[in-house]
Amino acid sequence: METPKNRSTALSRRQWLLGSAGAVVLASAAPTAQAAKTKTKAHIVILGSGLGGIAVANRLHALLDGAKITLIDRKEEHNYQPGYTLVATGVWPVSKVRDRNADFHPPQVNWIKEMVSELDPASNTVVTASGQRVKYDYLVVAMGTHQDWSLIEGMDVNAIGQKGLTSVYPSPEAAQATWASMDAFRQKGGNAVLTLPATPLKCAGAPLKMTFMLRDRLAQSGTLDKSKVTFYSALGNVFGVKVVNDNVLARWTDLGIAVETTQKLQGIDIGAQRARFVSPEGASTEVAYDFIHVVPPMRAPDAVKNSDLAWKAGPFAAGGWLEVDKETLQHRRYPNVFGVGDINGTPRGKTAATIKKSAPIVAQHLVDVIAGRAPGQKFDGYTSCPLIVKEGSAMLIEFDYEGRLTPSLPLIEPLQASYFAWLMKYRMLKPAYMATLKGRV
Amino acid sequence: MYEIWLAMNIAYEIALGLWPALVPLALVWAVVMGINRKKLAQVSGEALAAVAVLVSLVAVLALPPLSRSTMADMGYWVDWAGLLAMGAGVGVAAALLMWPVLAMRRR
Repeated sequence: METPKNRSTALSRRQWLLGSAGAVVLASAAPTAQAAKTKTKAHIVILGSGLGGIAVANRLHALLDGAKITLIDRKEEHNYQPGYTLVATGVWPVSKVRDRNADFHPPQVNWIKEMVSELDPASNTVVTASGQRVKYDYLVVAMGTHQDWSLIEGMDVNAIGQKGLTSVYPSPEAAQATWASMDAFRQKGGNAVLTLPATPLKCAGAPLKMTFMLRDRLAQSGTLDKSKVTFYSALGNVFGVKVVNDNVLARWTDLGIAVETTQKLQGIDIGAQRARFVSPEGASTEVAYDFIHVVPPMRAPDAVKNSDLAWKAGPFAAGGWLEVDKETLQHRRYPNVFGVGDINGTPRGKTAATIKKSAPIVAQHLVDVIAGRAPGQKFDGYTSCPLIVKEGSAMLIEFDYEGRLTPSLPLIEPLQASYFAWLMKYRMLKPAYMATLKGRV
Repeated sequence: MYEIWLAMNIAYEIALGLWPALVPLALVWAVVMGINRKKLAQVSGEALAAVAVLVSLVAVLALPPLSRSTMADMGYWVDWAGLLAMGAGVGVAAALLMWPVLAMRRR
């Protein structure tokens, strides 16, 4: 029987045999391959084996000669998280977001299959869950976010898929269960509630995509007139970039999607299918639902939040996010520490697209520091969100730290719903992700 | 420059999933080309163009539904330009593929 594990291995072998010629051509043209390698005996520890961690590992392998690279992460399955919304809305099968981490590691990487429990940057030490102490010369933190479900009273992640409870965020299984619930809900229609917390989020467009797609699925099933779709935001808006926020709200007005702002999901009664929201003034409102999409509040994982690497003051302190300079992505107090991806306490930028642009900068800056040079590049906070507005159509929104729209190609109109943007999301972004993961782009 | 490099990598990653079909097809095509190499010049440009245009039209109509979209989702000129370019690419590839097959029918 073919399991995801051996299927992935078989594919990997086939890719090696049949794709090697192409790989040689690409590798010889790759910018990292053209540069001379920096010789070093440094021990570099990378925390996290998501897109950011593995992309930086592959780049460092290409840029350094003699370095020891250690990856610390218990997770063996690699998930293409940008595909979760496609799984959760019935566009993709769940198999498309599942791979094996080991297939993407650079050669000779030392993999410690454990979670990190403690960070002691003063002594350049990482402590794993089993108590193993790992010393490093340089550290790359790529541990992503912690989904703080405990802040929603009555919430049970294991109940996703039951009684209309859904969420695209926790896992591929949750995304799959979300689609099963959405598919059942759209047959009859009813009262749909979608939520947004007040914390920084990874893929802040996902709650909006889920809302657009739910409405589209209801319309396709002919049950829209029997349904009410309401988006509850804990913030005063639904998206952090004003022009995008205004565009989405205008579209939702046309589509009949209601919006309630400054309403934070405080608790949920899964059995009774009731959600409780609270306003900043403390006023509580109970809402009955037939379908609810819950987005968890997010913060840094405990190991970072409780360490001296976290912000101590300012807007990122409450979430315990990593205190990096937003342009160099180097830690502001520990120059041998860098951050990549969702863990960074920077404005916006918790998407795969952010990593696509920032992982090369982090790797290069780490090499610069090893070589005694000052980090010389500036990351502008590039983020991209292919915002699905219905099945077959999306907006390709790209922006920077300041919230300025920064389309990669000048001919692309960011706020224009289009087939091209949909095709990017549906067919081209996973290949781009894989190339990023392998350290090529 | 970065966008060109990115596009090359996207094409390569997509091709990685298609190699098992593409490689045998390319081998068969090369063999048939080799066998019929002296008759290739006898195939008329009009016939090849007809194949390219016909397949392009079919591709333009088929690509949106194959990617879970519809013609109604063509938002603006970029969509049409992209779709026509992809259709043309498929058409040219089909014409190249059919070239040795058409040559086989020549005496």
